[in-house]
Amino acid sequence: MAELNINGQVIVLDEDGFLEDPDVWNEEIALALAKTEDVEELTEDHWKVINYLREYFAKFGVAPMVRKMCKDTGVDLKTIYVLFPSGPAKGACKIAGLLKPTGCV
Amino acid sequence: MSESVRIPFLSKDNSHMNLSFVPTEDRPKAAIEILGEMLKYKRSLKLYLDVCTHCGACAEQCHSYLGTKDPYNMPVARVDLVRRVYKKLFAPGHSIFRAWDGAKDIDQETIDLWYKYFYQCNQCRRCAVYCPKGIDTAEVTIAMRELLAHLGLVPKFHAGITKNMKLTGNNMGTPIPAILDGIEFLEEELKDETGLDIPIPVDKKGAEVLFNPSSSDLFTNTDGMMAVAKIFYKAGISWTLSSRITETANFGLFFHEPTLREHNRKLMEAGKELGVKRIVAGECGHGWRTWRMFTDTINGPLPFPVVHLFEEVLEYMKDGRIKFDKSKNPEIVTYHDPCNYSRGGNLIEQPREILRACVENFIEMTPTAQYSFCCGGGSGILMDEAMELRMALGQPKAESVRNTNAKILCAPCAICKAQLPTVMTYHKVDVTVKGLSDLMGRALIL
Repeated sequence: MAELNINGQVIVLDEDGFLEDPDVWNEEIALALAKTEDVEELTEDHWKVINYLREYFAKFGVAPMVRKMCKDTGVDLKTIYVLFPSGPAKGACKIAGLLKPTGCV
Repeated sequence: MSESVRIPFLSKDNSHMNLSFVPTEDRPKAAIEILGEMLKYKRSLKLYLDVCTHCGACAEQCHSYLGTKDPYNMPVARVDLVRRVYKKLFAPGHSIFRAWDGAKDIDQETIDLWYKYFYQCNQCRRCAVYCPKGIDTAEVTIAMRELLAHLGLVPKFHAGITKNMKLTGNNMGTPIPAILDGIEFLEEELKDETGLDIPIPVDKKGAEVLFNPSSSDLFTNTDGMMAVAKIFYKAGISWTLSSRITETANFGLFFHEPTLREHNRKLMEAGKELGVKRIVAGECGHGWRTWRMFTDTINGPLPFPVVHLFEEVLEYMKDGRIKFDKSKNPEIVTYHDPCNYSRGGNLIEQPREILRACVENFIEMTPTAQYSFCCGGGSGILMDEAMELRMALGQPKAESVRNTNAKILCAPCAICKAQLPTVMTYHKVDVTVKGLSDLMGRALIL
């Protein structure tokens, strides 16, 4: 069980480094999570993807189909891997504070 | 051993499987009771513990031993972890002989070894192909994982998936609105790509076919889902998905029989409720073997057949309903036999017949068919914390693929699709993993 310390606020992470409680997410936490993914800064392109993921997650409770995410954000899969080295499920979803997608993925 | 350092990570909540946690100090006694019970009703377990002659034929045939070089991963040694307890406590015969035979009590160390090593077996059953006695180590692994589950030792990965299976009928936990949203998107994509109105029906009563995909076909492997829609469209077959079960996979097989039975029952019920003539299973290895081999016994009688997508496609090809243009798949393609297709799944020649029809250049790897090596992700060893183990388990397969110089690795199983890309990258084999559906979709003449 790891922790993030953000200005004195303690954020609990699960063993996979995802937020234990997705509801606590904010932009500062996103930055801290990004650093755990070796992403040093969050650019406009990062935020485009993150905001899309958060909106989808709020509506449906799960991460979106990868192909749909790429189409709707205009960011292709290759670029997703450049922005989020661990990929759409393990990287982008982590930084966006979603639950970790599980299954045969 | 400290609970927190177990690989795979332990689940903290198994209540959805009606499983609780046995306090550590009580585990040895509980384990003896559970093992005793299992020996009564699992006849194959008792048989396999009894008949091994320790000939060693299995040792060099197991990818887990070859990849990890850990002697406990030889199938004979893995089963001996249980066999020695069985001999001490349950086997008939004079106790003095049993002591010489390596009989052992259950202690915490034994339970720790059980958790460690029964989650280093992919339940691939290659050992069973070479064992002169036909010992199926996977049956032992399945039983022992269930015993461990009753002690409260379940991987977080597996527990999360079975919870999703219960709540949504699929491994990813995708709820119905998200399934429908994704389907609507794929239909738009199909229209963009082909100009045709190719539907992906959901819950359509009276359809001829209920298609059961892998939930990853609605998340990452969407090329495969779109290909299937194209195939049914061109073949002129009325079909449907079921919103309450979009998962051929059945993780219950790996470690928890009640989950196996319940998920299987869900598909039966969906098929009955929709009034279909048959169920077509998608690209999932262990799920296929479960549907084909177990359903009639555990939830039968089956009112309709369960067939595999490949069997269905071959029928369409025979009837002239669909044709492929090979030139759309010009690359060198090699074929990975998912363990549960080629060992006990009766699905060896069918995918090859389809490949020969839809790709230009199909080349076999060595070993192949029922002798093929597991991808290393079998039985759900797909969790991130076991990455080092997974890459070792995948090493023999990587070498098989490397030697083909193929550009495309056709692997028609969702677990294989999740495991193999990372294995190939790690072992520096330059190849792209695709499902057979993907290749069919590319070559299908619409």
